[in-house]
Amino acid sequence: MDWNAILIALRDFFSARDGRAMVAACAVMTATGKTPPDRASGLPQAADELEYAFNRLFVGPGVVVAPPYASVYLDPDCRLMGESTRRAAAVYDALGLSSSFDEELPYDHLALELDAVLAFRVLGAQDQSAELDALWHYFLHDHLACWLPLFTAKVMQAPAPLHPEISRAIAFLSAWLAAAIKDLPQESLPMTHQPGGTAA
Amino acid sequence: MSPMTKQAMERILENSVSRRSFLSRLLATGALAGLPCGLLRPGTAEAGQVWEGGYQTFRNACPRNCYDTCSIISYVKDGVVKFVEGAPESSFTRGGLCVKGNSYVRRVYSPDRIKYPMEQQGRGSGNWKRLSWDQAMDKIARKILDIKERDGSLLGLALTKYSGNFGITNYGVEGMMSSLGYTTRMVGTPCWPAGIDAQNFDMGSMWCNDPEDLPQARYVIVWGANPAWCSVHSMKFLYAAQEAGAKMVVVDPVFTQTAAKADEYVEIRAGEDCALALGLCRHILDRGLYDREWVTAHSVGFDDFAAYLRDNVTVEWAAGKSGVPIAQIKALAEEFAQARPATIWIGYGMQRHVNGGAAVRVLDALVAMTGNVGKPGGGARYGHLQTWGFNYHAMLQKPPEGSKGWLGASGPKGEFDVSGGAGNAKYADRALNINKTAQEILDAKDPPIRMLWVACKNVLSQDFDRPKMLKAFDKLEMVVAVDQFFNQTVEQADIVLPVTTLFEDWTVNASYWHYWLSLNEQAIKPLHEAKSDIQIAAALSRRMNELAPGSCTFATEIDSKDWMAREFNKDIYDLFGLSSWEDLRKGPAKAKLASSASWADGKFATPSKKYEFRSDLCAKNGHDALPMYKEGRAPYDKLRLLTPHHKFAIHSQFQNLDWMADFNPAPFVYIHPRAAAQRGIADGDMVRVFNKVGEVRLAARLTSDVPPDTLLMYETWYKGLAFNCQNLVDDTSADMGAYKTGAPGVAIHDQFADVARA
Repeated sequence: MDWNAILIALRDFFSARDGRAMVAACAVMTATGKTPPDRASGLPQAADELEYAFNRLFVGPGVVVAPPYASVYLDPDCRLMGESTRRAAAVYDALGLSSSFDEELPYDHLALELDAVLAFRVLGAQDQSAELDALWHYFLHDHLACWLPLFTAKVMQAPAPLHPEISRAIAFLSAWLAAAIKDLPQESLPMTHQPGGTAA
Repeated sequence: MSPMTKQAMERILENSVSRRSFLSRLLATGALAGLPCGLLRPGTAEAGQVWEGGYQTFRNACPRNCYDTCSIISYVKDGVVKFVEGAPESSFTRGGLCVKGNSYVRRVYSPDRIKYPMEQQGRGSGNWKRLSWDQAMDKIARKILDIKERDGSLLGLALTKYSGNFGITNYGVEGMMSSLGYTTRMVGTPCWPAGIDAQNFDMGSMWCNDPEDLPQARYVIVWGANPAWCSVHSMKFLYAAQEAGAKMVVVDPVFTQTAAKADEYVEIRAGEDCALALGLCRHILDRGLYDREWVTAHSVGFDDFAAYLRDNVTVEWAAGKSGVPIAQIKALAEEFAQARPATIWIGYGMQRHVNGGAAVRVLDALVAMTGNVGKPGGGARYGHLQTWGFNYHAMLQKPPEGSKGWLGASGPKGEFDVSGGAGNAKYADRALNINKTAQEILDAKDPPIRMLWVACKNVLSQDFDRPKMLKAFDKLEMVVAVDQFFNQTVEQADIVLPVTTLFEDWTVNASYWHYWLSLNEQAIKPLHEAKSDIQIAAALSRRMNELAPGSCTFATEIDSKDWMAREFNKDIYDLFGLSSWEDLRKGPAKAKLASSASWADGKFATPSKKYEFRSDLCAKNGHDALPMYKEGRAPYDKLRLLTPHHKFAIHSQFQNLDWMADFNPAPFVYIHPRAAAQRGIADGDMVRVFNKVGEVRLAARLTSDVPPDTLLMYETWYKGLAFNCQNLVDDTSADMGAYKTGAPGVAIHDQFADVARA
């Protein structure tokens, strides 16, 4: 599996502003993941339907079913701009990266975190660095792996039938996370982790 | 490197030096070039993105149209509000906030906040698309220009705005409308207009004593108000009065939390405040306990009032009407008249009746005839606008050249209208009654209302007769709602625009109860894509002028801090002893009052310059010249329905936060056990409350805190629940309000309904 291509598509999907961009990201996932295209995706209203469903789950303006921010799951009180948000920004900073979105897109938004994952993957492929490995381990194991399962569970528990493209994206996200954790050196896994959030 | 523990890594990350040097060897190789990142960029985090230091403090003010208008200190770390507390410098706020104020952090950082401009594809469908601000402004601007082209004016564009955000620069919403041309305005106030008119007729203005002089009172009647829930900061002054020996009496149809704190509770039949107050006046007159010297020196028409009392009022009659026992009326009258000073806190609830203005006039008369007006610790306390003398720079905008508008009569557009009216202008805005918004939208013709802009207001939770409002919305071609949360109005909007919280932009706030002035600093950057009301106005003006140069006079670029500063003037500085608004950065300031008492010099603002028991102005406005009995509304169903405020909410704000829902997850209708037994209703049963307006389903709670003939449910909006008490409240007007606010009040508490098991 070309995880980099999948991760780029997932990042683009979760940062998409409109249905067209969502459909485009989904097409990349379909092609890269060699999964059959959704039968409805060729219909003219498909992009709109996907956008409505996406906004209900992740954007609003109504109560968002599965907010795509780490702090909602990791910090007390399901809030935005919590300590987990700072930790994500600190990881980017350690990587020499920063977000130009500022408060407009909290730093622990899923799309930004997937962007950081891509950076880790490319940097790790370029150079063997124990420090990079340690930071990656922290970001994956002590951050992403702590909230992404809670996030995907919320999506899967959504009241209405899940849009097939969203279902597919969530499946890719879960599959990548499982594969990434499997790739971690087993001796480096800490004993336990206690998520601090109340989102479960 | 051996695996690091989570804690060890976080120690590295939390320090900028260790964090940035951790991968320095790797990054020095130029490894960042060619990364596939689409969102993150090479660079160092700006200050505020990561842990950088200690707390910064900012001055804020609660802008939620509450008596207390608290002075707040916000504690910000790394660009995030961590917690808030009441400003200790204000002797009114005195370092504490209410349950709502303490939840502010939750409000800013709630994942439920509206984040982006969005457009709904079919009102109520829940099918929303994101818009950029440019796209949103383009759609709105094109609609406005379309209306102008079709109608030749912008009277088809209506604004409904009230006090959801009461900052002075928020009046820029009205300014935005004026800068577009002559529009339709929903004028008046659902809150307190009947009482405003009454006090204007009696004294020439609404002007209350400083609430901080309550401890000087020897007798306090809290009449139709529940400060234990709705003005918690006033309670310490009431307690201080009690501790100093004063008696506190609460007059209310409901045994409220304030009543529980009182020395005596008077259970009055709702809507019969006139009768009880007249009975008190008559007994005081009979016992010769009125202040003959004061009424002679400072009033006109007392003899006429006394004659009215003797000819038309008896204590027995008052007892029969109000349900208050004769002995209690007599004792209350004698105690009140003989205490010096004595005061009445006239609540807004008691004037939300078809005879509410008349009742306030009688209460004013009761305070005046006992010589308690103009005395520290005394007074007929209702509210004031003494500290609101701002420039209203944001509000006072000129229409574009050649704008056409309304040719009919034009009155004040609400209690804060300082525009002075249309003057010699040929045209005016079209004024429609805010308390009959639904009916006005349905009736408006030539031109019809095509577009509604909703700001600082939740129409479908707060306006009356919700079923009718939904029909009215069907007539509208476009609804724009500016809000922070997805409430029942946003649900029925075409476009929603995210607006800032108090921490995200500058403004200044005054109170209509106490005499403190608070700066509201921008403490954090706006989250997501929220903009303040004036920034939205500027964005709209930019697009309007791009599409049609000269079509909007509002500034296209605004420095919010500068616009806040422009609201100040010499009078405000002198009143508060300020050399500059910057002084408020050190803490809130209190007005330099010659006396804590209003009208202390005995000079009133009436035509006669005296207190007017007989007001020809009142008669000219269609009411009785004297404070007289006015019949209440005839019941239209079996039980009276009251819909007062909850402690966890101000109208439809705050209750939606999960912190509130933890304590108050769902509404109840409170029913007296006797009324419940007659209907076979047990505590906790799901019931239907219904009347000619509509129906509400909710759980019943049995309590003798409400009278046997009364149902009570708190007016608020619960996230995710369909509950809405406005399905049971019609838009019948109160008696007064049109004189000073442009439209009469509304008889919120003159509603009736029945209940049955669901």
